Amino acid sequence: MCGVAGVAHSRPQGVSVHMLARMAAAIKHRGPDGYGFYCDSQVGIAHVRLSVIDHAGSAQPLTNEDGNVVVSCNGEIFNFVELRSELRSLGHRFHSEGDTEVLAHGWEEWGPSLLPRLVGQFAFALYDRRQRMLFLARDRFGVRPLFFAERNGTLFFASEAKGLFATGQVEARPDPFGLDQVFSFWAALPPRTPFADVSQLEPGCCIEWTSGRLRHWRWYELSFGGMDTEPSDAIEQLDRLLSSTVSVRMRSDVPVGGYLSGGLDSSIVCSLAARQAGEALRTFSIAFADASLDESLCQHQVSALIGSRHTTLPIGPDDIADAFPSVIRHVETPLVRTAPAAMYLLARLTRERGITVVLSGEGADELFLGYDLFKEAAVRRFCLRQPQSALRPRLLDRLYPYLQPGRSGEFWRHFFLSAGDPSDPLFSHLPRFSSGQWSRAFFSDDMRDSLSSYDALEELRCSLPAAYASWAPEHQASYLEMATLLAPYLLSSQGDRVSMAWGVEGRFPFLDHRLFEFAARLPPSSKLRGLREKDLLRRWALGVLPSTVGRRTKQPFRAPDAKALVGATSAAVVDHLLCERSVREAGYFRTDAVHALVRRCRGTQPLGSRENQLLVGVLSTQLWHNTFMQGTSFGPELPLERADILLGASFADRSISPFPTSYE
Amino acid sequence: MSEDQIVSTARRYIEDNFLYMKPGVRLDLDDSLLRKGVVDSMGVLEVLLFLEDTFDVRVSDNEVTEHNLGSLRSIGRFILSKRVGSAAA
Repeated sequence: MCGVAGVAHSRPQGVSVHMLARMAAAIKHRGPDGYGFYCDSQVGIAHVRLSVIDHAGSAQPLTNEDGNVVVSCNGEIFNFVELRSELRSLGHRFHSEGDTEVLAHGWEEWGPSLLPRLVGQFAFALYDRRQRMLFLARDRFGVRPLFFAERNGTLFFASEAKGLFATGQVEARPDPFGLDQVFSFWAALPPRTPFADVSQLEPGCCIEWTSGRLRHWRWYELSFGGMDTEPSDAIEQLDRLLSSTVSVRMRSDVPVGGYLSGGLDSSIVCSLAARQAGEALRTFSIAFADASLDESLCQHQVSALIGSRHTTLPIGPDDIADAFPSVIRHVETPLVRTAPAAMYLLARLTRERGITVVLSGEGADELFLGYDLFKEAAVRRFCLRQPQSALRPRLLDRLYPYLQPGRSGEFWRHFFLSAGDPSDPLFSHLPRFSSGQWSRAFFSDDMRDSLSSYDALEELRCSLPAAYASWAPEHQASYLEMATLLAPYLLSSQGDRVSMAWGVEGRFPFLDHRLFEFAARLPPSSKLRGLREKDLLRRWALGVLPSTVGRRTKQPFRAPDAKALVGATSAAVVDHLLCERSVREAGYFRTDAVHALVRRCRGTQPLGSRENQLLVGVLSTQLWHNTFMQGTSFGPELPLERADILLGASFADRSISPFPTSYE
Repeated sequence: MSEDQIVSTARRYIEDNFLYMKPGVRLDLDDSLLRKGVVDSMGVLEVLLFLEDTFDVRVSDNEVTEHNLGSLRSIGRFILSKRVGSAAA
């Protein structure tokens, strides 16, 4: 796990090594263990390294035998052992024991057809010097990030947008459409970002850049369906896949730990990891003082069962408020939830305890239809089949008992049942999306003018894959969840960005494409049977975990929200950020609406999800604006003389190449 | 699809979702799901959602009765009649 950054001109016009060193400095937190550069007159690549596999031999950027393929990778290629063996049998000579080198030799052998052979989570930059082509690629599900921007015929790229801004060539400006998406979907959907003219490479996509021409294509498409009935050996297949996906993710030269939420998914992952770990697995979890959010009892039960050395981090509202500004600097986007702050604090603890690689259960809810949203869509379809039924809407009360403190059930029934028609391709997600779009009432006149007739939902409808209409409604919902929440928010703001803030690498066995493809082919009833979520996974777990865990229903991960941010200890900061002058100067929101919202959040009335979402969204937008729109420096450039490796013509007199090379 | 198959499928769903907390409870064909405390009124609706999705039938409010959905046997008989009815139509 690491960070990559770089630049590619359309012609040889010189690359500033100092600019590369500034880009590396901006993302240094991603790779605290070392750094290196490749630089010639047309292309420059910077790499900051978190050492996980082959400490001694895998400094990056690295090359193939003749130095004509240069590569810098953020992430892991889990099947590198098998690929290296295959490439060696084809005559390739390896210099290192690490995983990244298979990219250099694999590119020589297979070109872009290398990508489908990779089992991993990665975003990499590869420079083919013979073709003078820069190639950027991102993994199937978007575990690792990659941003890019074109300016005057030059391509800039980096693992985080701040790496682009550190060049001085790419300016940070807000994109109203991207911000509208944040409030609608919880995150801007790739390729959009909250920054104007800054893109993120979409999951499963790649870019070729040759002489100033950019070619972009999708190398992996999410696909669903294929089985009408569950195969008789489905549990055996699932067993083999889970063992294998955890096993390859235990490959590491540093100890691997686990995040243990106490729910089914992380319990499965930690249980399998504990069996394979050489010594007691280190596990970590969060405990909230608010009992309605806390899962620590289940965490301790599972930890005792699997024999892990467990550490719990108690988090209170003040901790969330204190961490929030740093979190916004790392996630580089406004947020509508504070859960990323909790994960940021957990990653800090994990790093302090000496663990830099953690497994977790991300992805299981999307693959096996675990979220309440999937049940909600099933109940809404059930109700809308008999719109006059007085009985059916009562199921919504059972689904969301916690959603209605002080409200009548009728309100929520109307909200859910009038959200949209089953013929709408976004049907499953319309209640969530429409709730987010309600925030538009808070936008300033200027923001609304900028948005004009922009319709984030329509843009999403137009982006759906061609096969989408042929999928079962449950699979359409699964796709939407992966495209709109998993990749842009859970794996990013709540995943990569807050764990890499502390140089901690997350690994997600459920997001192995072999397991995804197995789950995606299953009939929906194997996953959501009636209102029983993750059916097949639960059936498998009954043989492995205690029935109290195997049968435990999904508990959404929620951290203290608005009340935490407007509480006593952070009152002065909030007063400053949300005062009339600050709100007007930033220009995103109506000052009167923000004033009323803050007063409401500081009152004694219980807050609904809308108020929570709005307060967090408004406050984080103001923080984001102050952090990125006001010429922030991202630290002094990294000193070249302390780099692990300097490759390329720009360093001809100090080149430390692993192979004899003849650079131009 | 026979009545026995419908009963067996419904039994598995009810056992998995409502009886797992009561491992000693045995569910006979004619046991009343409500009076035996297996499901509450909401549970009946949840079972109904499962039956509609699984057996591709549509049930109106006035058919949600003890007679039609009150026991495993009545569920089997009722769902089979709905399937036969929709096939004939």
